[in-house]
Amino acid sequence: MALFTRTTKNLILKIDEFFDNIDLGLLVFREGIKSYLDKDMDAFERHIRKVEQLESNADRLQRSIENEMITNSILPQHRGEVSSLIDVLDEIIDTIKSTLNEFRIETPDIPASLNHNFISITESSISAGEELIPAARAYFKSPYTVREKLLKVYYFESETDKVSRETRRVIFQEMNDLDLARKSHLRYIINHIEKISDNAQKAADLLSIMAIKILM
Amino acid sequence: MILLFLTSGLFLGWSLGANDASNIFGSAVGSRMISFRKAAIIASVFVIIGAVLQGSGASVTLGKLGAVNAIGGSFTVALAAGVTVYLMTKFSLPVSTTQAIVGAIVGWNIFTGNQTNIKTLTEIISTWISGPLLGALFAVILYIILKALKKHSSIHLIRFESYVRTGLVIVGAFGAYSLGANNIANVMGVFVPAFNLNDLDLGIITLSSSQQLFLLGGIAIAAGILTYSNRVMEVVGNQIMELSSDAALVVVLAQAFVLFIFSSSAFSSFIERTGLPPFPMVPVSSTQVIIGSIIGIGLYKGARNINFRIVGDIAKGWVLTPVASGLTAFFSLFFVKNIFNINVGTAIAEKGSPILRSTASSTSARGISEIMSFLITGLLAVGIIIVVLYYFAERKRKNELRKSEEKFWRNLK
Repeated sequence: MALFTRTTKNLILKIDEFFDNIDLGLLVFREGIKSYLDKDMDAFERHIRKVEQLESNADRLQRSIENEMITNSILPQHRGEVSSLIDVLDEIIDTIKSTLNEFRIETPDIPASLNHNFISITESSISAGEELIPAARAYFKSPYTVREKLLKVYYFESETDKVSRETRRVIFQEMNDLDLARKSHLRYIINHIEKISDNAQKAADLLSIMAIKILM
Repeated sequence: MILLFLTSGLFLGWSLGANDASNIFGSAVGSRMISFRKAAIIASVFVIIGAVLQGSGASVTLGKLGAVNAIGGSFTVALAAGVTVYLMTKFSLPVSTTQAIVGAIVGWNIFTGNQTNIKTLTEIISTWISGPLLGALFAVILYIILKALKKHSSIHLIRFESYVRTGLVIVGAFGAYSLGANNIANVMGVFVPAFNLNDLDLGIITLSSSQQLFLLGGIAIAAGILTYSNRVMEVVGNQIMELSSDAALVVVLAQAFVLFIFSSSAFSSFIERTGLPPFPMVPVSSTQVIIGSIIGIGLYKGARNINFRIVGDIAKGWVLTPVASGLTAFFSLFFVKNIFNINVGTAIAEKGSPILRSTASSTSARGISEIMSFLITGLLAVGIIIVVLYYFAERKRKNELRKSEEKFWRNLK
């Protein structure tokens, strides 16, 4: 029995650590984009390295959590859903890493006049992810509160959509001095940042169903 | 010859194990909280303990219903009930062993021209209604308490599930103990009057004649659990209603409570002391209680969760079981008596205790006592070896898993 208690405790700690990784990844992403826009490439590199480390840690934790749940037959009825949730959350940090790497490799040339728009898109997209983490934690401790916490995720996701739509409109309709290749490149980068909030929404949909099921 | 007659009781015990163990651990195994192997081992051990330590209460009541006063009759009655239970189990229908044996005894009464003790029959049949109702009531109350506890404690889901799992093991063990205590009467009750064995000293405990029979019956039940209960566990666990892990715990706990109060003489006298009518010491159908509990929770959560078609099938089984078992007993008695020329019992003319009277045709041969003592000691030794082997096999499996996990991470690095 003591062995089993230790397994339970370890698993709880691992899940918490996994959420911490995602949370921290979102924070570092925000700082990374800001330093890129400020042209502070040293800080940007430091943030990329941090995100890579967090992503690799999250991957390790994800495998370990899924393994432990199966081998010790923990949460037999909710295991599939919890694994899917962790998968979707892992996609968020994967997107963060790949987006920052695209900034590093493709070095998109963002006009200074769009800095504010890019920061807004990043802020709202990151906020959607950040609001998701407390809801995911609440699933395990107080599932009654999950749905109310998810409202903010949906709000920030739609905000991200609005700001990015507006930014795309400005790029394609008002900035005539930019050539089409550059415009397309900027759109591509925006889509990537937007993907974080899309993933957050996907996770929120899943969490919302999981919360109902567990309360039934 | 007399031991050969006992085989039908052991067959009935095997059927009961195959069928009724599903009631105790069905919800736990069905909800994947406990593996079948672990459930089977726990149930087997505690069924035997319950049968030996507390099995006598309910068997007295069964003796009153119809004192089968010839070993040939006991054989046929147990065989008819066993066949009925086996066939129903084969079709994955959770059937009540209690109903089967009661039906068979009534069949014997009719065949031999004995009058069925209506008072006892009513007492038993009334528990076929009060058992599931009590089960449903307990289940709903316990479910509400558990839900409230879960809501207000903000306990982590994984920790909660680990507590539920531990609870399922403990309550399952308690349920198995109660099943052994209460339902052993169905298996061995009809043989108790026909055997008069010497006391068997096992070192830590001395077993009386009836306790030896109960132990043997308990071992037969355990064999049924280990070999054939897997399928019915799936039915109880999943088909009536999909059970959550906490509901599974509540269902097993409610069932264990109901079985316990109908087999505990201490509880019955406690109720009597408070001025309330005492609970009859009756072999209750664990199947009915568990289904009552599941339906109770289903109704509490909203009736749409329940698969009423399956419930209807089970209800049909409840009516069919005593009738089929009674008819089987009646016709089997006819064959055994007229074709094999074996005495299956006679009409009892005078009044008095049927149990005492029936011991007139009992056996007290020394040889049989010795065979029984060897048999019991041998079976107990085999049982202990199985449990030890299981423990080491589990340990080996866990070690191998751990090693393969470590190897995986090492290679990944």
